[in-house]
This record gives sequence, C-alpha cells and structure tokens, in this order.
Amino acid sequence: MKLNLARFFTIRKVLSFLLLCAIVYSAYSIYYKVKYWGFSLSPKAVTDVWTVDAKVSFNALGENVKVSLAVPNDKDGFKILSEEVVAKGYEITRDKVNSRVIMTAPLKTGKQNLYYRLSIYDDAQNVALNSLVPAKVERPILSDEERLQMSKIWKLSQNQKGDKVQKAILAVNQEVNNPTMSLILPITHTTKEFAEKVIQVLAYKRIPARIARTIKLEEGRKTEKPDIMLEAYLDGRWKLYDLVSAKIGLPKNWVIVQRGGVSLLDVKGGEDSIVVFSVLKSVASPLKMAEHRAKANDKLWSYNYSMYTLPVFEQNTLKWLMIFPLAILVVVIMRNIIGVSTMGTFTPMLLAMSLVRTGFWPGLICFSVMIALGLVMRSVVAKLNLLLVPRISFVVIFVILLIQCLTVVGYRFNYSIVSSAIFFPIIITAWIIERASITWEEEGAVNTLKEILFTFITAVVTYFVISNEYVRHVMFAFNELNLVILFIVMLLGTYTGYRLTELMRFAPLIHKDN
Amino acid sequence: MFEWLFNGKKLRENGVLGMNDRNYSVIAKYNKRSLYTLVDDKVKTKRLANSININTPKMIGIIEFQYQVKNLLDIVKGYDTFVIKPAHGSGGKGVLVIKKYDAEHFYSASGDVLSFKDVYQHISNTLSGLFSLGGKYDVALIEEAVNFSDVFKNFSYHGVPDVRVIVYKGFPAMVMMRLATKESGGRANLHQGAVGVGLDVSTGCPLKAVMHNKPILQHPDTHANLMDLKVPFWREHLIIGSLAYDMTGLGYLGADIVLDENRGPMMLEVNARPGLAIQIANGKGLKSRLQEIDETYPSGLSAEERVDYVLNH
Repeated sequence: MKLNLARFFTIRKVLSFLLLCAIVYSAYSIYYKVKYWGFSLSPKAVTDVWTVDAKVSFNALGENVKVSLAVPNDKDGFKILSEEVVAKGYEITRDKVNSRVIMTAPLKTGKQNLYYRLSIYDDAQNVALNSLVPAKVERPILSDEERLQMSKIWKLSQNQKGDKVQKAILAVNQEVNNPTMSLILPITHTTKEFAEKVIQVLAYKRIPARIARTIKLEEGRKTEKPDIMLEAYLDGRWKLYDLVSAKIGLPKNWVIVQRGGVSLLDVKGGEDSIVVFSVLKSVASPLKMAEHRAKANDKLWSYNYSMYTLPVFEQNTLKWLMIFPLAILVVVIMRNIIGVSTMGTFTPMLLAMSLVRTGFWPGLICFSVMIALGLVMRSVVAKLNLLLVPRISFVVIFVILLIQCLTVVGYRFNYSIVSSAIFFPIIITAWIIERASITWEEEGAVNTLKEILFTFITAVVTYFVISNEYVRHVMFAFNELNLVILFIVMLLGTYTGYRLTELMRFAPLIHKDN
Repeated sequence: MFEWLFNGKKLRENGVLGMNDRNYSVIAKYNKRSLYTLVDDKVKTKRLANSININTPKMIGIIEFQYQVKNLLDIVKGYDTFVIKPAHGSGGKGVLVIKKYDAEHFYSASGDVLSFKDVYQHISNTLSGLFSLGGKYDVALIEEAVNFSDVFKNFSYHGVPDVRVIVYKGFPAMVMMRLATKESGGRANLHQGAVGVGLDVSTGCPLKAVMHNKPILQHPDTHANLMDLKVPFWREHLIIGSLAYDMTGLGYLGADIVLDENRGPMMLEVNARPGLAIQIANGKGLKSRLQEIDETYPSGLSAEERVDYVLNH
C-alpha cells in the first residue's frame, strides 16, 4: 500500500497537478479580471467614456418650480462613472424607482438653465434589459373599423420577416401611407405617434410594449429630442426594437434615457421648457477604469488587495518585476531544453533587460564594444599576474570609467548608441569580461567566442520575448500567470530528455547499421 | 543537414545518457551533496584514499597561508622533483610540475625556467583562489611527481595520459583513456582536443578512439596506432575506481588514475560529476550500462569482488 502511494505521488505527478491547479486558477482569475474589472488582453485597448450633458431651459413663471427629468438607469447597459447636477438654488432629489432627477425651488422667475451631467462607460449590449414581468395587457376597446384594420395589419405582417413584434413594426411601416390607415394614424405623424400606434397593434395581440427614449453617443452630438424606440415583452423578456428597420437590440453606443409612456421632462411652474442633450467622448485605459468597474460590479474588496491600487511608482516597479519570471523561463528553456551554455546563469537575462532600456541595436553595438575594449584591457593586465580580487576589481573600475567616457562622448557628439552604455549593469559587464578572458586563456578563442555568441543569442531571444508590448501588458495585468510559469519551471526541473544540442553532440553514437 | 534533429529516438534506443538525465536521475539521486567536499578538496581526498590503502602520489606538504610560502624550500627538502597543485583546482588548472631546482631557479616539466619569485607568486595566486572553483581561497598542495610509465610514451604528446573510470554503485561501468595532444596543450581534456580512447571494461582493450567527437585510428602527433594501446595492471586500475566508491560513498563518480613506473596505478582525483564524452569514446550509451548494473549486478560485494564480477561478465 505504501509503495503504491509512493508511486502515485511522484514529484512529476505532484508538480503536474500543481501546474494544472495554477492554470485553472489563472484562467478563473483572468476571467474574473476581464469580467469584473474590465481588464483587456490588449495593451492598446481603451475604454470610451461618454459625457452626456442634459441642459434643461425654461421660463419660470414666478411660482414654485418643480422640474422632473428622466435620466439613464445604470441597469441599462451602461455603467455610470459620475453623475452631477448643476442647479443653483434648487433642491435636488432622486427618484430611483422611476430613474428621474427632481429639482425643486420656490418662487423662481425668468430664464432658468439647469444642467445634468452624466459620465458613462461600457456599452454592455449583453446586459439584460429591465426584466420586470409586465402586467397583463388588456385588449384595447376598438370600433369595428379599427378592429378590421388591426386584423388587416396582422394579416399583412404574416409576409414580413422576424418575430411577431418585428413583423408588426414592418407591417405598420408599410401601411403608414395607405389612406385606409389614416383613421388611427394621420399621414403626417411624429415618431412618438407611430410608436404608440405600434404599441396599440401589439396590444391587440396582448403583447406588452412601451416607448424607450434613447440617445446616440456620438462625438459632439447635440440633440433636442432623444430618439424613440420600442420595447416589447416577448418570449419572457424585454426586447428593444428600431421603429424603422425593426432591428432588435440597442445599437452600439446608444443609451436609454427613459422608458415607458411618461414624459422625458416635466416642468411645473415654467413654460417653453426644452431639454438639449449633448455628448462628448473621451478615452481612458482599462486599468484606470478598473476601480470603477470593480465598484460597479460590487467586487471592490478584491480590487483593493490587488497591486493596481498601489501608487504609480510601486506599480511601475512591479510591472518591471512581473516580466522577470518569463525571462527566467526563457533562460531555463535555452539551457536545459536547447542546451546552450552561457556565461553565468542569468547574465543573458540581465543583458536583455538592459537592451529593453537602450533599444536593440544601439545596446547590442555598444555592449559589444564595451566587451571588446574590456577584453583588450584585461589581456594587458593579465601579464601583471594580479591576485584574484584586485584583478576583478580592476575590471569593474575599468568598466565604470568606460561607461563614464562613452556616456559623456555620446552626449557631446549626440551618438545615442554610445551613450546607452550607462544602462548596462557594471558588475555583469565586468563579469563577462573576466569570465571571457579566463575562458580565452584556458579553452582558446573559438570556445570563448562561441560562449559569448550563445550568451548574446540567449539575451536576444529573451529580449524579443520581454520587449513585446503585449507580453508585458499581459504579464502585468494578469500576473497570476507567473504562478503557471513557476510550476512550468519546476516541472522542467524534472525533464530528463536530451537537450537539443546533445542530439548533435551524440550523433556519433548512432550506429549506421541499426 | 538537420537530420540530427531526429536523433532522439535512436539515442534512446542506444541507451545514451543525456545531461539532464545524468543530473536528475543519477547525480541528484546517488551523489549526496554533503559528500562533494570529500572530492572537491584534494588534500581531503588524498588522506581518505591513504586511509584505505589507495595508492596516490605521496603528499610532501601543504601551504595554507601566505606567510608559509617562503618555507617552500624547507618543505621540499630531500625531493628533487615535486608538483604544486591547488587543492580545489579542476581540469589541471594551476598545476606546476618542478623537474629540478638549484640555488637560483626552478625548472618546470614544460621546459620553463622560473625564478624563486615566480614560483612564490604562483603559490600566492593559488592561495588567493586563482585556480579554484568559484575563486574561493585555496590551499597549495605539494606532492611527489609521478614517474610516468614508459608504456604510454608513444601515445601521448607531452602531457600525462590518464585512465578515467566511471564507477556506478561501486562497479566500474565505463572506462576511457585520455591522451594529450599538441592541440590540447598537454592537457587531457577532450573538449580541448585531447584524444579519448574507449576501453573495454572487462579486458582493457581499446574499442574506439575519438578526437573532437570524430573517430580516429592514429594519434595526431605521435602517429601511434591507438588500437595497439594496452593498459597494464588493468585489474588494479579497476580496483582503485571501485575503492573510490567505498571511500566517498558517491554512487556515480569518475576516478582519474595514472600509472607510475615504480608504484603502479595511482589515483589522482575523483570527480563527483564526470562528463558524458566517455560515451562517444566508447561508442556506447552509458544509460544502458547503468541499467544493466541496476538490474542484474549483485549487491553487498567488496571492492575486489565487484571488480572480479565485472571482469567475468
């Protein structure tokens, strides 16, 4: 029994299991962050933030004034970033049930301008529309002639495409210019009247329907009247319909301001009231919007313990750190799977990090020059037979002076290639020089150049992985992936297969006659 | 051009041991880290070897501190020839062989004439860790020079030929002889261009010779026919390897053995992670050999019994 257990819990199996756990956890975490915090996989993704201004103007008649304005509801797809009312001298209350803002003031006279400003983001098409089940609709009481028209329309609708409501809309559209229809719907009619007619037609079949007022979010748009659409309750849920094309759903970047038969704006104690909507668009990065989204989704507690709430400086440092595990993974693969030998385990990684800051070619050229100069200097010093620590110290100081000279010269003569020297880690540079010169003495120039070349190749591969904008964004925004890398690295620690270079090295061991 | 990419399967079939496999399945499993110090320090190794009667070059003295450097002449009094080597060196780094000396100069085996100051400097460098692994402070070991047997005279250019025995669980598993060439600069490291001759474990006869991974038949400098190589005292060579297991407890080790004209085979050093080039020199995979030992070889034998078992199978 004990033996079986031991076989079951081999290191490799345990690590594979942990890796699987890490993958599942990361997948969930990524899903969570995308869904509730609005994180995006792309570094270039932006969130549109719309600012909708409603300006209410009217002439007050010297009485108590009560203004009631229908406003968008945050359950209607869009999320509200901020909401403010500018109405001097007015008392502001909110009617959450009917989603209206009510502004009251005693004894006002003259021209009044009240402002309501709303910033919204996230055009969430999928968010279910108000799902309240409506009361049963009573059939309207109709005259015989009207009833005839109704059945005519429904008959006509049979030839139209779509669901019942779509068919009805299209049929009414078609019949609108027909003189026989004028009894109920005059030839010149408003969209609202048209919508009311459709509602009536639907009521004939006991389909609940209502008017929805919407605004199209469009840069710099100014509109007096919101567009009217139709909402109908079909197949157990509310659906939104365009009144001309009968398309289902709210088009992208539209927002519902108000729904139901009630008016958009009610002004008591005033006349000539008018509301003008204007729309302004701005963009924000998803990372910046994350807090609002987390709050909107009631997930603020988890967000508060994430690194995205840290001050910018700490965040930038962490963003830099979060790329390291991937770079380490590259080094592990290069060494244990590919099988190239490099100078020092993580030297290529640190070199790649420097290249990210200097730019690829300038960094590579400058670094090669530094190594070459260092090697020349080191070979001169080799003849002095210095003791180990002073000799390495000499190389370090030489590298520091070299960096200083290159940077000053680069700055004076405006060669950015030369001045990138300052970004290379001194100790790493000195170490490569020391190591290379010892290898040179012991194993010859060919082996040394080979080793330097492999170090550079590994650094370049690492550079291309970590300098990729997408990779850096993903590793920061979805840092739980580092847990996956952790277990991959551990699992690679149990890899006993041949290294790629060994396939070539051991080629003489393949017998031709086999 | 890229057909080598598909060598994996055949290598596996031929039982070739890869580096990852060696590290994970063999070294990590059978070589305890704490035992490494026994073989990393040549002074320790030598004392251990002497305690169980393994032949090694006799130790003349050690220089541990800078102030002792000047005592060199007192230490080597009575010896015409001696070797200075770093206790933690590897791959022959920092080894200085003194053939003779007079009131003013030392004469090295490679033909250099060195002043006293030069030699003192060499010892100081050794103490400061110039030749040691990781540059740690070191000790200079002074020992008797080996009187190399003439048998191998024609098979090596300048340097010292040695026999590398891979010992697995106390059984000699694979053997090769390493011969210095002009290109290797008198050193016996295969990747520097030395010749490796695989030897049959049970007979000591040459199987194959390689230089830079390519098969050869003649020594590139002396032109001796490498298939004529014959190692005397074969059993004694293997017994030293086998005893190295008893001495260190390392399940997988490489013992480097040289042949002294007067004293027979002597152990120079033990390596806790011997390389895999021996497979190419033998033309055989090591993994299948290790598996054979794992599966069919008996346990609980003494060093000599193990060697006899290997010689008869």
